[in-house]
Amino acid sequence: MDNTLKVAGMRKSFGKSLLFTLPMFLITFMFMTGGKPNFSDPASGLAMLTAFLLVNVLYFFMHYTGKTDRYRAVLFIIFALSLSYTLIHNMLEVRKSMSFSQADILECKIPFCHLVIPMMILPAAFTKSIIFPGSIISGFANISSMVVLWLVATLVLGRGFCSWGCFYGGWDDGFSRIRKRPVIKKISELWKWMPFAVLLMVVLSAALTMMPTYCSWICPFKAVTEFERVTSVESATKAGIFLSLFGGLVVALPVMTKKRTQCSFLCPLGAINSLSNKITPFTVKIDKDACNECFKCVGVCPLYALTTDDIKAGKVSLFCSKCGKCVDACSRNAIHYGIRGIPSGTMKNFSRNLFLFVSFLFMAIFSSGSIINTFHGLLKLIF
Amino acid sequence: MTDSLILGLSSGSACLATCGMVMFPYLMAGSSGVKRIAVDLSLFLITRFVIYFILATLSWYFGQALFSNPVVRNIVPGILYIFFAVMLIWYSIGKNRSPNCPAKIVKTINNNRLVPILLGLINSLGFCPALFIILTKGATQGTLVQSYLAFLAFFIGSSIWFLPLPLAGKIRKKEVLKNIGILATGLAGIIFLIKGITNLIGGIING
Repeated sequence: MDNTLKVAGMRKSFGKSLLFTLPMFLITFMFMTGGKPNFSDPASGLAMLTAFLLVNVLYFFMHYTGKTDRYRAVLFIIFALSLSYTLIHNMLEVRKSMSFSQADILECKIPFCHLVIPMMILPAAFTKSIIFPGSIISGFANISSMVVLWLVATLVLGRGFCSWGCFYGGWDDGFSRIRKRPVIKKISELWKWMPFAVLLMVVLSAALTMMPTYCSWICPFKAVTEFERVTSVESATKAGIFLSLFGGLVVALPVMTKKRTQCSFLCPLGAINSLSNKITPFTVKIDKDACNECFKCVGVCPLYALTTDDIKAGKVSLFCSKCGKCVDACSRNAIHYGIRGIPSGTMKNFSRNLFLFVSFLFMAIFSSGSIINTFHGLLKLIF
Repeated sequence: MTDSLILGLSSGSACLATCGMVMFPYLMAGSSGVKRIAVDLSLFLITRFVIYFILATLSWYFGQALFSNPVVRNIVPGILYIFFAVMLIWYSIGKNRSPNCPAKIVKTINNNRLVPILLGLINSLGFCPALFIILTKGATQGTLVQSYLAFLAFFIGSSIWFLPLPLAGKIRKKEVLKNIGILATGLAGIIFLIKGITNLIGGIING
């Protein structure tokens, strides 16, 4: 059994792969169509069909080829691009601009995103108020649904949320794949702790000022979603920070390092998700008997989550986002998806199948709305 | 007050991570029981409080004398903020960061009741970029009370980290805490760098 795995990896036959795709096929069909596919508007129908096929074909290939990250990344990147498209489209339709005014803040019309969550905790605990100017239960990207989605995903996937659920991660993931070889090869270990420092600063500053300081001053993704209207030196400075961080951490550094630098060195939610890795059922494990210490996995890890010491010790660090890149790189299947409590090196196929089903289903459902929206927009543009 | 508190909180964590292990044995030397530890820690914190009170007064008076011209008052603090903020950022990312705590000097003093006071003195007068920034802030406040409030916020922010000092020996991942503290200090530097730049631009536009 183990020898077969070493040679064939996690590949499955065509028929078996189809069988594994069937539950995904049925669930995504129900979610995307509500059980009643509607082709009265051909553009909407075609967009839905394309999104449905895309999701299921990618999932099929994950099983058929035994590769995870290659197909996960396709959907993850499309998710990030389509969500930005959907957000911008929504902004332009509702307020005719990507920027928001003070009136929009006062009327709580700002779409909520999960990056605000760490900043909400202390003010909510002490003052029973939410410091974000968004809608709590109604409207586009409301606070309660986003918090529940993030909480469930994080409890199940841990930092896996950052590679399977975050609608921003696809940006630097995408840019990190542009070059074949990195220009910058070594970055100090110290920087891995930066998200925790950012978390500390934004949590404290948000609690002291009762403002979502990360969104107001730091978030690089303001450059591709919505931002404060530039009317003063302060708002111009903010816009400068957003653009510089987006250009630096989301575009330039990922291209030069082949790593997800925004996720590795800035995102405060990533820090919280890393801590949740300690309690989640799914993990990435190292089978020390199968490992020949080639350290290919260390080189490909996009989040600096693996070091040679980790491999020698037979454990991955808490920074792991379960993207599967290391798993794909290992020709001996020594690094694999696992389930907490089950020893490493055992039940590799079962653990991978279960993890893929849960994580991919989450991403497919979470992303389907914005992907359909984007395909619909593109079809309308073309025809 | 918020930015002073953040500066204190961020630099305090790095300060504790660097100096906690040095100060702990001296603060607790010869101690017998919680009461003695509490007395030593109180003496240490009171000394810091008194020093900051004096610095708040001095910086404000010097600020009144030096920044009497409105143009200078707008522009010079901006330049000082930028300069000290760059120093603070350099401290956090620079490879030549001194790994030693200045409080090590107390090793040369025989263990006695003066030690917590001396440690408080050394700690509060250890001229680090964070202190230069708060001195600049104190110097540019409109009233003496505002200067006191800025220093009080800085004192509170940096002192919070010293309260669990008796438990410092039990912290397992000291290196991680130190790294996070140092990076947070660098981030506080960036906050003041931005503050300095906006002050300077505002000063030039209004001047």
